[in-house]
Formats: sequence, C-alpha cells, structure tokens
Amino acid sequence: MEIYSRRDRSMKAWFASGDPWVWLQAGAIGISITAVLGVLLLIAVQGLSHFWPHPVERIEYLEGENVTKVFGMLVERDQISRQQYLESSGITSDLPEGVDIVTRRLIKTANRRSNPPDFRWVFEHRIQHTSEPPDVLVLERLEWGNAYGTPQALSVNGRFTEAITGERLMVALAQELRHIEALRQQIETLQREQIQPLLLKQERLRENLRATDSADLSRTGVQEQLVEVQRAYQAFNLQITNLEREIAQERLALQDPQGRVQYEPLSGIIRAWQPNQFSTLDKVLHFAGNLLGFVLDDPREANTEGGVFPAIFGTVLMVLIMALIVTPFGVIAAIYLHEYAHQGVLVKTVRVAVNNLAGVPSIVYGVFGLGFFVYFLGGSIDALFFQDALPAPTFGTPGLIWASLTLALLTVPIVIVSTEEGLSRIPRNLREGSMALGATKAETLFKVILPMASPAILTGVILAVSRAAGEVAPLMLVGVVKLAPTLAIDGNFPYLHLERKFMHLGFHIYDVGFQSPNVEAARPLVYATALLLITIIVGLNLTAISLRNRLERYYRGLGA
Amino acid sequence: MLSISENQPETSESSAVTPECSLRVKDLNLAYGDNQALHNINLDILKYNVTAFIGPSGCGKSTLLRCFNRMNDLIEKVSITGQILFDDADILAPSIDVAMLRKRIGMVFQQPNPFPKSIYENVAYGLRIHGERSKSVLDGRVEWALRNAALWDEVKDRLGDGALSLSGGQQQRLVIARAIAIEPSVLLLDEPASALDPISTLKIEELINQLKDQYTIIIVTHNMQQAARVSDHTAFLYLGELIEFSDTDSIFRNPQKQQTEDYITGRYG
Amino acid sequence: MHKHISEQYDAELAQIADLLMEMGGLTESQLNNSFTALITNDFDMAETVRDVESKLNQLEVELDGRCVAIIARRQPTAGDLRNVISVMKASTDLERVGDEADRIAKLAIEMMDHPTNAVQNNDLRNIHSAVVKMLRRALDAFARMDIESALRVIDSDAGVDRAYKKLVGENIDQMRTNPQEIERNINIIWIARALERIGDHAKNISEYVIYRVKGQDVRHGGTRIEADNETNT
Repeated sequence: MEIYSRRDRSMKAWFASGDPWVWLQAGAIGISITAVLGVLLLIAVQGLSHFWPHPVERIEYLEGENVTKVFGMLVERDQISRQQYLESSGITSDLPEGVDIVTRRLIKTANRRSNPPDFRWVFEHRIQHTSEPPDVLVLERLEWGNAYGTPQALSVNGRFTEAITGERLMVALAQELRHIEALRQQIETLQREQIQPLLLKQERLRENLRATDSADLSRTGVQEQLVEVQRAYQAFNLQITNLEREIAQERLALQDPQGRVQYEPLSGIIRAWQPNQFSTLDKVLHFAGNLLGFVLDDPREANTEGGVFPAIFGTVLMVLIMALIVTPFGVIAAIYLHEYAHQGVLVKTVRVAVNNLAGVPSIVYGVFGLGFFVYFLGGSIDALFFQDALPAPTFGTPGLIWASLTLALLTVPIVIVSTEEGLSRIPRNLREGSMALGATKAETLFKVILPMASPAILTGVILAVSRAAGEVAPLMLVGVVKLAPTLAIDGNFPYLHLERKFMHLGFHIYDVGFQSPNVEAARPLVYATALLLITIIVGLNLTAISLRNRLERYYRGLGA
Repeated sequence: MLSISENQPETSESSAVTPECSLRVKDLNLAYGDNQALHNINLDILKYNVTAFIGPSGCGKSTLLRCFNRMNDLIEKVSITGQILFDDADILAPSIDVAMLRKRIGMVFQQPNPFPKSIYENVAYGLRIHGERSKSVLDGRVEWALRNAALWDEVKDRLGDGALSLSGGQQQRLVIARAIAIEPSVLLLDEPASALDPISTLKIEELINQLKDQYTIIIVTHNMQQAARVSDHTAFLYLGELIEFSDTDSIFRNPQKQQTEDYITGRYG
Repeated sequence: MHKHISEQYDAELAQIADLLMEMGGLTESQLNNSFTALITNDFDMAETVRDVESKLNQLEVELDGRCVAIIARRQPTAGDLRNVISVMKASTDLERVGDEADRIAKLAIEMMDHPTNAVQNNDLRNIHSAVVKMLRRALDAFARMDIESALRVIDSDAGVDRAYKKLVGENIDQMRTNPQEIERNINIIWIARALERIGDHAKNISEYVIYRVKGQDVRHGGTRIEADNETNT
C-alpha cells in the first residue's frame, strides 16, 4: 500500500479512525464540566448576592385605590402572563390593552413588626414613583429582621432631643452603638468570669450537702458557704441588671415613608448603615463584613438571620472525630484482611460484605445508629456511669459521638477498600527484601508497607470525609439539631463534650430551606450555606490531597 | 588464541586442600501442593566460592535458592523434606529462628528493591531491625557496607537522598550493601543482574568477584555466560532435578550430561 | 546431537565444517598431484600444485575468520566450543600439509634436471601411500566424528615414522657409498621428511577429533583414553 496515498475521506473511514469517539468523549466531559460549573456558579451568585448591600429605594405604588409608600430593596424581577395576573389580582382595568406580559418585582420592605409583610410583590405598571433617598437607614436588629426608615431623632438618657439631626445624628448613633457594645462586653465578661464560676461552685456545694447526712458537723460550714456564694451571685446579677437597663435606655426614632414613626431600642440594633450613601469601597467592605458575620456569628430568628458558625463548627468537628475513628478501624481491618487472614471463602465473603456495606442507604445507618449506639450503647453508659442524672439521659440520647460513630460505620468500607488496594499495590519484592534482612512480618508491615500504603489510606480517608460531610439523613436520627444551645467544645472540663447535640451545615440547609417560617428571607441563606458546605468539603479534601501528594512524592523517591 | 589446558581441573582440585563446605543439601524434596518442584537434590556449597544455579525457567533453581533462607515459608502449601545443613544445623528444622537465619544468609533479588527511604536508611534498615541503635556504629557500618558494595564513592555526598533516585545498577549495589551490612556469611543472589544494562551487569559481576573472599555466594542466573564468568561451581537443574554439578570449567567446556550440553549450547532439550 | 534453537548458528557451524572439508579435499589432491608430478616428471602438474597452494592459504584465512566470528558472536560453549576450536586448529594443520605438498612439487621441479629419478625408491612410494591413507582417514574421522578411525590414524603414524627413519638410514648409507648421488639422496630425504610431516599433521587432526568428541586432550602423551569401551587398539 502506498503510504502517501490520499486519505480516504469516506464516512466509514472517519468512524474507523476513532475521531467520532474522541468527539463523543470530549462532548460528554464538556457537558459534565459545564453542569458542575453551572451549579457552582448559581449557588455562588445566589448565595453571595445576599450579602451585597443593594440600594434601598423609596417606592410609591398603587394598592387598589390607595397609594402605598414603602422603602424597599429589589430582590428579583420576573414576568407573568396576563392570565396569571388576572387570576392573582382580579383586576385588569389598570392594565393597558394589548399588554400580555406583566412585570413584577419582589421587594424586601423589612419592618416586619411595624408594617408586615417584609417581602412583597409589586407590579411595575402600578409603581408611580421611585427614588433613592440618601438618608435611608437600614438597621440590623436582634429580632424581627431588618428595619428601613429615615432617622429622625436619638434619645439621650432616655429623652428625645431635636438637637441632633442629619450627619451628627449618624455620628451619635454610631457612638452610642459602640458604647452599648462595650457594655455588652462588660456583661459577658461578668457572666463568664464571675457568674459561671459561682454557679459551678454553688452546684458543687449543693452536691456536697446532698452527699453528707444531716448529722455531719461540716454541714453548717457548707451551708454558710452556700449563702455566701448566693449573696455574691445576687450582687453580680444586680450589676448586670443595671448594665442591661443602661443598654435598654436609648432609642432611635425611625420614620417610614408613610410618615409613621417607630421607636427602635438601641439595645436591639446590631448594625446600622445607609446603603444609598455607600461608595463602591464601602459596599465591598460591607459585603466582606456580612460574609464574615455569616461565617462567624450564631444564627438568630429561627436560623433565618445571623450566621452559621455553630453549623460549620459542628460539621467540621463531627467529620474530624469520624475520621479519627474510621481511619484506625478501617486500616486495621484492611491489614487483617489483606496481610494476615487466610485467603479463603470466609475472607472473600467478608470482603464482598464490606463492599456491599458501602451501598446500604445511609438512613439505614441512621436507624442502626439510633438503635445500637444511642439506645443500647448510650443507655448502657448512662446506666453505668451517669446514674445520678437518670432519668435524664447523658449519653443515651442523640449526640456528637454517636453521629461520628454512625458516619464512621457508614464510611469504614471506603477506607477498607482503599487501604487494601494500597496494600496490594506494594510490590512483593519489597516485602521479601525486608523479610530477607531478618525482619518479622510485623516489622515489615510497620517499617515498610504501612508508610508506603499511607497515600492510599489517605485517599480512603479523603473519600470517607467527602461522603460523611455531605450526609444529612442519618444525622437527623443520631445527633443533629436545628439549633444547638452550646458548642461541643468549650472552656469547661472536659472541654470536648461528645454527648452534646450539634448543628450541621447540611441539616441547616434543609431546615432553613424547608422548615423556615419566612421562605423569602431564608432562600438566599440556603444558597449561601450550600456554598459554604461545598467550600468546606473542598477545603478538607484539598488539605488531604496535598498531604497525600506530598507523601506520594516522598515515596517515589523524589523527595528525601 | 584459546589454549586447552593440559590437565583435568577436577584432579588439580582434589589434590589441593579440600575447601570447607558451607551448606550441604541432603535429599531435598519440595512440593507446592501436588506439584513437585524439587526432586531429591544433593549438593555441597563450598565456603568462599561462587556457586551458580543455571537451568531453563521453571527448573526450580530459584526455589532451591529460596530454601537456603526459608523464603519459601512465605508461600502457602509448601511441603519440604530432606535437610540443608548449615554449621551442622538443619536450617529446615522448625526450631530454627528464621530471622536469625536470614541475618546470616542474606539475599538479593532480581528486581532492585530498595525501600522508599534514604540511601542511609536503606543500609541501616537491617541493622536497626537487629537492634543496633548507636548512631556512630550505624554510621560506620553503613560506610563499610557501601564501600564493600563499591557504591560509597558514588553516594557518599548524598546519603540522605531517596534511594529510588539512584540508577538501576546503583540500586542493585545498594541492595547488596544492605544485605552485607548485617554481615551474613552466605549471600544468595537471585538473578541479580537480569534487570540491568551490560555495564551495570559487569560492575555487579566484578563486585561478586570481590565479595567472594568474605562470603559464600550462591547465584541464580539465566545468563549462562554470566555463570561462566563469575562462578567457581555450576549446578544445572532441569525440571526440578539436579542434572549436573561440577566446577564451572568442566560444565562449560565438557559437560558430562547431554541435557547440560544441550542447554548450555542452546539446543532443544 | 540436537539442533540449535538458532538455525543460523547451525548453518554457520555447517559452513566451517564444509570449508574444512573443502580444504581437506584440496590438500589431498595437492598431495597426490605433487607426488604424481614427481613420479611422472610432469612439470606442468608440479607448477599447478604450486599455483593451487595460494588458494589453500586463502581458504585457511577465510576459515579462521569465520571461526573467530562464531566465537565473537555466538560465544560457543562445550561441544560447540570444541568444534570451532578443533576446526580452526585442523585448518592450520591442513594448510601445513599444503605447504609440504608445495615443497614436494618444488623438489619435483628441481629433480627433473637429474638423470635418475626419485621415483625408483619404493620406500618413498610406500611412505607416500601410507600418508595419503592417514590423511584421508583423518579427514573422514573428522567429518564423521569417528574416534575409532581417528585412533587408527594416530597409531599408524608410528609406522610412517619407522619407515621414514629406515629410508633416511638407507639413503645415508647410499651417500657414503655413492657420493655422486648425494644430491638425489638429499632430495629423497627431503621428500620423505615432507611426507613424514604430513603424517604428523594427519595425526594432529585425528587428535582434534578426539578432543572434539571426548573433550580430552590426547596430545603429547596426555591423558590416554583407555577408559573408553568403544575402542581399544
């Protein structure tokens, strides 16, 4: 055959060349990547835009015959057909002939307490006038969500004064908020440094009293101490009450566009800002602050406001504890299966069973965890060590340790399979090399084989962590709650409280998205939380992957 | 031109002082399950000599070699009868401390198999296994072993580097250094140069020549020229039987058995 | 003997064996032709022998080259090694036989000028026919790896030596009694000596056969092969 002959350009030759398959593969990969990136982009945009300080407009629109004036922030804009419009409002008279598409806006009007609802749909053709008044103030409040309004006056020592207006009002407000923050710090310090130890001491003394019988002479001494403690406690409590009264004293008068004035206690204000006066830099700073607050603050208002720090903390802690449990168990099991067990029918069966365990629906693990870990194990622990507290359960109730154990059980097949894979990849001649030098099997295992298998073990742990961080269903049964009062780690002995319930980002998404009383307010938080969950999983994975890569480099002999 | 020696080598050897015997194989039979791999092997390995095992693939030469340090223990369903005497002790006896045996009978494999550790740690591995902790002793032994393996000058400035960064030939010499670091009296070499280029092969052969002053060496090789070059005695195995065992000169000039002749001259057996 | 796995190797070994046999045939005819030239005073034949001698030398060189090539490329061992070595050595001996035949042809040309002819000497004829037989038998033994016939050649060399010594003694006597014929007698001795040498070479070739087959060196009274049951002379 002539090598330099003209190429056969027929369809058949094209198929034979394999090019179509390459295109097919490229297309499939392209679609997959686009899908993944699309989802990430959607989540990122929807989640992050929530934190961006959009301008607050003054909107006048017709509601029936009356003109309603509100401050509002545009959330989204969409279009409905004339038919839908007809069905929803029952009026078409205000709609010009020939207009088939009606545009409407979802605006956040805040002021949930004084002028509900805080989200409303407004038809664009009914809007008569919009403007962006520069002095609109947004208040982030501890309760009732945000408030919009124009600041009118600030109280001084509980009494309103007209002297402070405009620019100076804002300066004074900021100053007063800082002052209140300082007072809060003071209260917190008192709580932490004085009240808490006193409460603990009181508890101890009471226990002491319960333990000693009435004839004991030391009883009176203890009782005196108890009285002393209670007196001190009351003194500090009074101090705190005074401080709280000082905080609650001042108020801000805020006027809405209808002219109604509401009085906001400064103690309920977290932050105040005027978005319409923001420069781009201000917006960016505000955005960053919002983001930081989201990551570091506690949730408020049934999780629809505030941050998700406890959920982040709970997720990471639970996953780490799970990794600590699953790694040794999985590795030891894999070593036994691969290195020591006689490779017979039994081991093969065990191996198949382990592989199948990975396919069991996770909710089944949840049920098992609840039945075995929580009720059986936890109940036994309570009966043995925490008899005093019964019938209130200590470990016999869903908690962090049981969630971690359940997820460890869920992910142990992954670690076993991956470790076995790693062990079988180590060349036989390395084992023989070690044995030929007089090393025992165990020495060979610990000095040569396990270090070399460590990248594979880490791969297993990475996969396990990814799987575990994304699990929600079983956790709902064994330890996750929508709002945990305390973190699992604090300053009190034993510092790590494995029996406590905890919050979890995955469950948080479910809770905020589907159980929230205020759907519109919660929706951006669902996206933001999802983005955070993805970020955390990716972060955990990247850390482990870089560690594994370093190990692999080391064992390829490139490093030293 | 080649000269043909006047005398039969066997006669000259028998007239010299009889060399000490290091390993004595007596009536050795080995089977993997139902598959008999070695039939009734009888063989004397002389001290400070290089003994080569040659034969086609699957003839049992590696299996025989692995009997000397009980490497066959690692394989399930092996049954062995007979004796291998080493210092008057039967190393096949169950009471033998296999770790101690392997300390005294070192082994080097076909594929260079350094551990993924530093050069230093590779050589020190066996010493550490056998309980050596002193840094100065380790340093000394590592240098001694690397010098004896003719590798010291090439690696002395990078002992901390990964052993896998060495070339194939260097790796194999490192593995030999690792084996001699624990001062065995016998070295088993299982096709030590079959994965190496010709120059590296020659270096290994030269090393074997130097080492035989201090060690009894048994080498399994597919390369008949290599056996002819490095060994003093050659055993030809075929289908698990020891066909011929004699001094290397006789085997390569005038083998007594037709099977040996056919194998070493490259004929169908 | 089995075939080699490499057929090319077999072909190369066959080639050197063929070349050696070609050399052997040529040497044999050289020996016969030179003696015939001597007997028949055939100047042309003697000249032909002298011409062919160079061909023989070329053959030896070629054979050597091929043997060296086999050693370099095949690294022959055991029987193959002995085969190549014995072929090489035998070729040297055959070339020497050729030299001796050349010498006889030269002497034949010299003696043509003399009235009386060496041919009258029956002893010389006998030695010649014995040597021709030896050479043929030695080459046969080489071709067939026939130890028995090789041993016969080795043994018959002693007879040739005796006949040569006898011939030399007789010629010396004749020289004493008849000094005019000294030149003729010396030539006869030269010729006899050449024939005796050829006998030695035939013996050598037979020894290579034994080395080739048995791997034993029987030269210069080395180990005898009494142990062999097949032959006992």
